[in-house]
Amino acid sequence: MMGMSRAGLAERWPLFVGAFLSVTLGVALVQSSLLLLISAATFDPPAGLSAAERMEFTDSTAAVVSMLGIVLGIATFLAGFIISSTFAFTVAQRRRDLALLRLVGAGRGQVRRLLLGEALLLGALGAAAGVPLGLVVMSAQTWMLRRMRFVPENFTGEWQDWILAVSFGTGIVLAVAGAMVAARRAARVRPLEALRETGDAARVMTVTRWLSGLIFFGGALALIIVAPHGGAAGGPAMAMNVPLPAAIAAAALSPLVVPLLGRLLPTGSGVAGVLARANLWDARRRSASVAAPLIVLIALVVGTAGAGASFTAAGIDQMRSQTHADLVVETTGPAGPAIAAVPGVASASTETSLPATFTTGHGEDAETETGTAVVVDPAAYAAAHSTGPLTALHGRTAAVGPGGDVPSHGTVKIQLPGLDLGEVPVVASVPAAMSGGDNALLPPGLVPAALLAKADTLSFVTLRPGTDQAAARAALAHLGTVSTTDEWLKADAKVRASTNDKIMLVIMGLGGLYALIGVINSIVIGAAARRREFAEARITGLTRRQVIRSALLESSAVTAAGILLGGVAAAGALLAALTSTAAVTGHGTLSIPWPLTLAICAVALLVTSATSLITSWSATRHAPITLLAARE
Amino acid sequence: MTRADAAVTLSGVSRVYGRGGAAVRAVDDVTVAFPRGGWTAVMGPSGSGKSTLLHCAAGLERVDSGQVLLGDTDLTRARDGELTALRRTRIGFVFQSFNLIGSLTAAQNVALPLRLAGRRPRGSEVRETLAAVGLADRARHRPRELSGGQQQRVAIARAMVTRPDVLFADEPTGALDSSAARVVLDLLRHMADAGQSIVMVSHDPVAAARADSVVFLRDGRVVDHLAGANAHEVADRLATWEAAR
Ligand SMILES: Nc1ncnc2c1ncn2[C@@H]1O[C@H](COP(=O)(O)OP(=O)(O)OP(=O)(O)O)[C@@H](O)[C@H]1O
Ligand SMILES: [Mg+2]
Repeated sequence: MMGMSRAGLAERWPLFVGAFLSVTLGVALVQSSLLLLISAATFDPPAGLSAAERMEFTDSTAAVVSMLGIVLGIATFLAGFIISSTFAFTVAQRRRDLALLRLVGAGRGQVRRLLLGEALLLGALGAAAGVPLGLVVMSAQTWMLRRMRFVPENFTGEWQDWILAVSFGTGIVLAVAGAMVAARRAARVRPLEALRETGDAARVMTVTRWLSGLIFFGGALALIIVAPHGGAAGGPAMAMNVPLPAAIAAAALSPLVVPLLGRLLPTGSGVAGVLARANLWDARRRSASVAAPLIVLIALVVGTAGAGASFTAAGIDQMRSQTHADLVVETTGPAGPAIAAVPGVASASTETSLPATFTTGHGEDAETETGTAVVVDPAAYAAAHSTGPLTALHGRTAAVGPGGDVPSHGTVKIQLPGLDLGEVPVVASVPAAMSGGDNALLPPGLVPAALLAKADTLSFVTLRPGTDQAAARAALAHLGTVSTTDEWLKADAKVRASTNDKIMLVIMGLGGLYALIGVINSIVIGAAARRREFAEARITGLTRRQVIRSALLESSAVTAAGILLGGVAAAGALLAALTSTAAVTGHGTLSIPWPLTLAICAVALLVTSATSLITSWSATRHAPITLLAARE
Repeated sequence: MTRADAAVTLSGVSRVYGRGGAAVRAVDDVTVAFPRGGWTAVMGPSGSGKSTLLHCAAGLERVDSGQVLLGDTDLTRARDGELTALRRTRIGFVFQSFNLIGSLTAAQNVALPLRLAGRRPRGSEVRETLAAVGLADRARHRPRELSGGQQQRVAIARAMVTRPDVLFADEPTGALDSSAARVVLDLLRHMADAGQSIVMVSHDPVAAARADSVVFLRDGRVVDHLAGANAHEVADRLATWEAAR
């Protein structure tokens, strides 16, 4: 049996190379993301930091860890999706071979064992190559993280011995799981039907497909419905997760849609068009397998980036509409009295930000978060940020800041650099901001002036009507950096948008590349089984050109369908973004990253066209008769 | 003929494809017995249900009603595992398009059923079977390196290596020229003379005339029998039934 398996390996090599590659790349990506996550979570602050610097370090580490958590989540999702669908596809592509085996006496168990044995072998081999490749991927990811200043220069990903078990486990489990469903099905269908591709063997929309399609559709729908009720933090988290189940649902149900698109092929495209249309219908399984990674790619990149950009834009809009001031002064240490003394200044909200840790609960249940606390003048703050009165905020109290993460009642233990404030009652809260911000507001007098003297401070200055802004600005310039509120908001928005872009690049850069390779993979696998079909077409009288043209038309139609379905899944995320920004800020914000969307569609079209051109060209290299002579 | 003399017995077998208006009665209430140790040819116009009948008789196709007995074994009630076991031991099947596995050599193709049955085939066993079909010197060739007639003989060797009770062949000479066909027919004749039960579908009167008896099928029904006829007589009878359409 194994000898046969080896012979099979030699003959159908593109299938096996494709399956192997999907495992190698998936394992490398998961391993690298996991090692980086562990390395970041256990990264020690360099020696000789001040208390404030140490808290800031912890805060930024927490942010990097949560970002790498998402990176790992997406890597695992992609690996699971692409590996299992590739293996399922390779099994489906060999249904004829398997039917022949069954006809000469192979039992169902034997077919299943053969396929699972193959998956086990390929999973293990793929993982063996994936482990060293993972180290390469890790250095690439580390370089990217360093370059974007998410981690300090001395950060490195650390190797862990146990990762070997994880990587091999990932490769083998995903490969076997992917082959399992397809192997059961391949073993179950009647051999004669499999040989002739009729009856059960020809059914594409299997029960499993319907079920997974509908279940994940339901999951995506639930996220879309619940997202607007998730608040400033939960809404984005849910909306950004919509693309995953939506993509699975779209991929599972794609055999219903892809052939329909074939009807839209221009009817003037002659015999190649007729053939392409017929193939789209007849080879729904193959079309669906090519479209699947494409759907995931588009859904993930466009959906996540679009939702991310929408939330960033909403945060910027919200900030703009809530900030009421003429000028913004950036100083080191509170400069309230000095600013108030400048002629023409009506009022100023001076806000001094300090790193802080917040602990809630006691003993076992204690939970500590790192963030920032800001010392404010409650009345001026309320006026400058239209938050509603903060009269309760005085003495030993705190209020929940726009960044949240602090309980809105009861007490919270607050620790500032070198100062333990102990249990502080939370007496008020300001509305959560879409873009985050300080976690807690502290009244003046609670924090000693010495601690504030070196802290970054923002002052939102309102001038008296009729004041000469230029003169006031010149006077304030002696105290710190002055900008108009508009300028300041614009600069702040730019920083936020670019941070968002960088995060998206880290999260999806390599994942997107993997999905794209998955697309190439499935085209190559699909073409491997088509030599005979191409040869038959040429024997019938089609020229080699016409055959290639027809393959190209077909792949363009499949790509278009993939883009369309991926777009639908991405639209789910955008819809969730729209409704949840509306729920938080009062009006829905949608920011679609058109250049990215168009670029990714163009790349997808280019890659699929090039791949099917090359594969169909190489599959038609030999005279057709040499292929048809052997009647396998 | 009593049941004990029959290698395969079909009683009231029907097979319908599709449903409602599009339903095709490919095999319609057929009762027929294929004798043990004899060679029976099944003839009929294209689309008359010959292949379907053969598939049903070999347990490859589910029947909608009726019963198929292989010796005493009821194929219609057999579960998949039992049918698989039968394919390894008691049923041999040869297709018009040889259906060899392209990546395996002739010898490996022939050894396959034995391997699948969990046996480690003796080299001599495979060699003898290949020698019996006249291909002792082609054992290491792959199907694409063999002529059509040679490929079909490998397929027959593969079907025969398990020494089946019945050899089913669906137009085994359909893809061959007349001289290659004659080699295959001589081979089958030789096997039948040695006591092998053979059921063969063919539309070629020359091929059918080599069999011991001929069954004629039209529109899924058995319409005629002939025994010991020559090619002319078979051709005349076939023409009669084709003209009656
Ligand atoms: N899987 C199928 N689904 C639907 N109809 C089928 C199927 N297989 C066969 N048929 C129909 O059943 C009838 C009998 O087919 P069958 O293949 O048995 O004919 P045949 O006598 O072998 O013809 P030929 O000499 O052309 O091989 C035909 O009308 C055919 O269209
Ligand atoms: Mg037939």
